[in-house]
Amino acid sequence: MRRSRGFLDRTAGLMVVLGVAGLVVGAGVAPFVWGAVGGPGGSVAVVEMHGTITSETAKAAVDDLREARQNESIRAVVLDIDSPGGSAAASEQLYLAVKRTGQELPVVAAVTGMAASGGYYMAAPADRIYVTPASAVGSVGVRGVVPPEGVPPGEIVTGPDKGTTATTAEVRRRVESLRQAFVGSVLAERNESLELTAEELSYAKVYSGAQGVELGLADSVGGLDTAIADAADAADLGSYEVVRMETPRPSALPGLGLRSNDTDPGRSAEATFDYRGVDTVQYLMLHGRLDTDRSTATREVIINGTR
Amino acid sequence: MERGDVARGVGAFVLAVLVVVAGTAVVGSVTGPTTDRSTQPTAPAYDTGELLPTAVADDGSVGSPDASEAKTVVVDVSHGNAVEPAAIGPLVDALVRDGHEVHLFTGGSSASTGFSTTGTSELNATLRSADAFVVVSPATPYTDDEIRGIAAFADAGGRVLMLADPVGRSGSGTSLPVPIGLPTGSSTAAGQPTNLAAAFGISFGSGYLYDMTENANNFQGVFAEPSGGTLLTNGTDRVVLRDAAPLVTDGNATAVLASEDTALSSTRKAGDYTVAARAGNVTAVGDTTFLEPGVATTADNERFVTNVARFLVTGEKAEGVPAPAGPSTPPGGGPSIGPPTAPAPPTAPNGTGSPNGTAAPATPTPTSEG
Repeated sequence: MRRSRGFLDRTAGLMVVLGVAGLVVGAGVAPFVWGAVGGPGGSVAVVEMHGTITSETAKAAVDDLREARQNESIRAVVLDIDSPGGSAAASEQLYLAVKRTGQELPVVAAVTGMAASGGYYMAAPADRIYVTPASAVGSVGVRGVVPPEGVPPGEIVTGPDKGTTATTAEVRRRVESLRQAFVGSVLAERNESLELTAEELSYAKVYSGAQGVELGLADSVGGLDTAIADAADAADLGSYEVVRMETPRPSALPGLGLRSNDTDPGRSAEATFDYRGVDTVQYLMLHGRLDTDRSTATREVIINGTR
Repeated sequence: MERGDVARGVGAFVLAVLVVVAGTAVVGSVTGPTTDRSTQPTAPAYDTGELLPTAVADDGSVGSPDASEAKTVVVDVSHGNAVEPAAIGPLVDALVRDGHEVHLFTGGSSASTGFSTTGTSELNATLRSADAFVVVSPATPYTDDEIRGIAAFADAGGRVLMLADPVGRSGSGTSLPVPIGLPTGSSTAAGQPTNLAAAFGISFGSGYLYDMTENANNFQGVFAEPSGGTLLTNGTDRVVLRDAAPLVTDGNATAVLASEDTALSSTRKAGDYTVAARAGNVTAVGDTTFLEPGVATTADNERFVTNVARFLVTGEKAEGVPAPAGPSTPPGGGPSIGPPTAPAPPTAPNGTGSPNGTAAPATPTPTSEG
C-alpha cells in the first residue's frame, strides 16, 4: 500500500508538472494559432503626416515606417497626408523612409487635405497616390530664408559667415541644388504617369486633386478607406485590421507660453522651423507665403527708408 | 522527506525551467523582434556630383570710364527713390575713381516730403550745373516742370540714366496670389519713373522676367545679351539681371540689352524682352540689381557697369540748361499752400477732389503720394 501510494504521489506530481508546462506552451502558441485560424491575416498601418513637417513630426513618421517594416503582422502601409510641407531636410528624410518602406511593403498614399511641397515629396515614392477633387498636390519647390547679413552688435564671431551660414549667392546655389534634387526625385518616382516636364514642375504650382490625376501627380480619386483597401489588396490580405499611427501633437511648450501668441503668425512660423532663439538660414519645402517677423521688419525698413 | 524525493523535486524544477527557457528560445527565434533588413533605397536624383550647380563667374572688376574731363553726376533721391548709396556703390566708385563728382539731389529741406513748392526749380537749378542725371526707382512721379527740365537737359547733351526694378518684387516660389489686403511690402516703396520715361518714348513694364531653364541659378536671374554694338555693350557678352523689368520703346529708342527666351511674370508669355534701351542721351535699364556690389562683377556685368559709367561722363552738355523757369511759375507761391506740385492725373478728376470749386484750372489735383 505504502509503495503504491508513493507511486501515485509521484505520478500526480509529474502530471501537475507536465500540465503546467503544457499550459505555458499552449499559452505561448495560442496567439499564433488564433492568428492563423480565426484572426485577421495581417494589419494595414496608417501612418499620419498632418500639419507642417518639422524634425519632430518627421521623426515620428520615420519611426512608424520602421516599425511597419519590422513588424511582420503589418503587411501594408497607407500614408495619410495633410501637410503643406515644412523643413527641407526633414522632408528628404521622409522621402527616403517611404521609399525604403516601399521596397518591403505595398505603400499607398491618401491625400486627405493637401500634399504640397515637402508633403508631396513624402507621397511621391508611394505605389499609388489617392486624392479627392478638393485636395491639393504639388508645389514642388524650395525656399531659403536668409537672416540679415552682418555681425550683430554685441557679438564677436570668428568668420564672416559664422552668423549667416553663407553669402546670398551661395544660399541661392544651395536652394537651386535642393530644387534639382526635389524635381528630379518627383520625375523619377512618377515617370510612368507624369505629364509635366521638369520646367513645368519647377513652377511649383499647387494643383487640385482632379488636375493632379490628369497631370500624373496622383493616380486616382479616392478616400482614405479606398487607399486602405487598395493597400490590403496589394498585400493579398483577405481580412485585415487597421493600425493608426498618429502624428505627434505639438509639444506642450507652446501651450506653456514658451512660443509667442497665436495672433502673430510670423513668430509661430519662425518658432516652428527655427532652432529656438537662433536665427539660421532655413531651407523649407513649404507651400504658402511666409509672414515672418523678418519680412515684416524688412518691409518696415524699406518703407521707412523711402518715405 | 527522503533524499531521493528532494532530488526528484529539484530535478522537476530544473526541468520546468529548462522547458520554459528552451520554449522561449524556440518561440523567440521564430517570432522575436526582427532587425530592419530593408536596404538603402536608390534615390536617382541624389547624385551629389550632379546636384551642385555651377556658380556664375565672378572674377571681374568694374573698370574706369576713362573720360577726358571731370564731370558732375547728380543722383536723384528727392522722389522717394529706393536707392541706398551702397546699392549703387560700384557705379559711384567707378565715377569717383575717375575723378568725377557725384552728388545726391535731395530736393532741399522739404522736397522729399512732397510738400515743397520750390523743388522743381531746385532740380532745374541743380541740373544746370550737372552733366549727368541718374534716376533710380522713384516712388513719386515727376512733375511736368521737372520733366520739361530733364528733357531740355538731355537735349542739350546731358546724359540721363533711368533705372527701375519691377514694381512689387517677388522672390517666393509659390504660385498662388498674395492674399487680399496683404501688402507685398516693397511695392509701396520702389516705383518706376513712368511719366519721365514716357517723355523719352520708353515704358517700364509690369512684372519681372524669369527663365526656368537657362538662368543664373535662380529663375529670376536672367541673362541679357547685347542687341547691337554700342557704347553701352562694348565688350559685353552676357549680363546677369537678378530682378529685371521689360522695357517697351517707341521708334526713337533702340534696344541695348535684350533677354531672349525669357518669360514675363504678369503675362507668363515667353519671348525676347528688351531690358535696356537708349534714346539719344537717355538710357533706361529695367533693373537695379546689376549695380549691387555682389552682382556687379558676375558674368560680364562689370563691363556693362563700366560702360554705363562711361555713358554718364562722355556727354557734351551745353552750359546753362535747363534755363530758369519762365513766367508761368510765379515766384512767391500761389494762394494754395500745402498740396504738392504733382502732375495732372491722366484721367479727369472725379469731382471729389475740389471741395469748394474755386480751384484755378491749372491747379493739379492733390495726389495720395507722399
